[in-house]
Amino acid sequence: MTDSWIKVADEGAVADGGLLAVYPCGLGLLLVKAGGTVYAVANRCAHMACPLEAGACDGFVITCPCHDWRFDVRTGAFVEAPEISIPTYPVRVAGGEVFVEL
Amino acid sequence: MAHEARSAALRELFAPLVGALGYKFTPDQELADFLLEQEAVLEETKGAPYCPCQVRTHRREHDMTIVCPCIPYHRAHFDAMRRCWCGLFVHRDVTDPGDLPQIAASELGIEG
Amino acid sequence: MNDPVFVYALSTCPWCRKAKQYFEENDVVFEAVDVDLLADDESDRLADEAFTLSGSRAYPVVKIGAEVIVGYAPERYAQLLGIAT
Repeated sequence: MTDSWIKVADEGAVADGGLLAVYPCGLGLLLVKAGGTVYAVANRCAHMACPLEAGACDGFVITCPCHDWRFDVRTGAFVEAPEISIPTYPVRVAGGEVFVEL
Repeated sequence: MAHEARSAALRELFAPLVGALGYKFTPDQELADFLLEQEAVLEETKGAPYCPCQVRTHRREHDMTIVCPCIPYHRAHFDAMRRCWCGLFVHRDVTDPGDLPQIAASELGIEG
Repeated sequence: MNDPVFVYALSTCPWCRKAKQYFEENDVVFEAVDVDLLADDESDRLADEAFTLSGSRAYPVVKIGAEVIVGYAPERYAQLLGIAT
């Protein structure tokens, strides 16, 4: 792996349907495990920058705790208007560890 | 304006969002300032910058659809009017917002 | 004496103010209430009443006789009240 892949968590730290806030290089990211796959998105709602970590995940959709804006963790798209999105980051899981490419 | 700083912050937060949706702030500066101030007050007193021209029901699934910018939840209606209900936002090609009337969703055959 | 006119308004809404202003300027006898300034129970009651009439949570809701108009629509008001435009 190149240097841009950074270990952010042990795989076991993210339960299926669960959320985990991580801060590689000081960047606020949210790991979401859905359908057995780990996704990484910005931990910041596109609406008013609320942290998404206190939200809820249902399937591939995370709901912001502040005003219920919903995002697909696979693409970052705002469900109601995909023109708006949150950043997503590539994820690799290897050797029981989760890496994110920044 | 007592809530000037928060009004300015809301403007900064909302501009890129509505831009992505094909809208912009109304060129009627006085109207925009008034509406943003109302939203800042509503945020402080009611917990969110609700639309100043729509009423809350205290049912979360409804009330969250009238938090500004509420365009995504009322897209067909607002696209047909080329403005949002309160008039804070207009379609990006609108130059004279005074020409755009409020039209009830039901009159446009749209579910409000 | 015109048909009874009632304006369901929100104190935060400039279009509600414009509607009230329209009736004042045209010497129309009307009643108005800022739904958001009422005590909680009364506010909910009036908001539900407006919703039952209009099917909408958008304001202003203006009742002229048996007609209900959602939004600031001076031409509609004039038409219903027989005011020359």
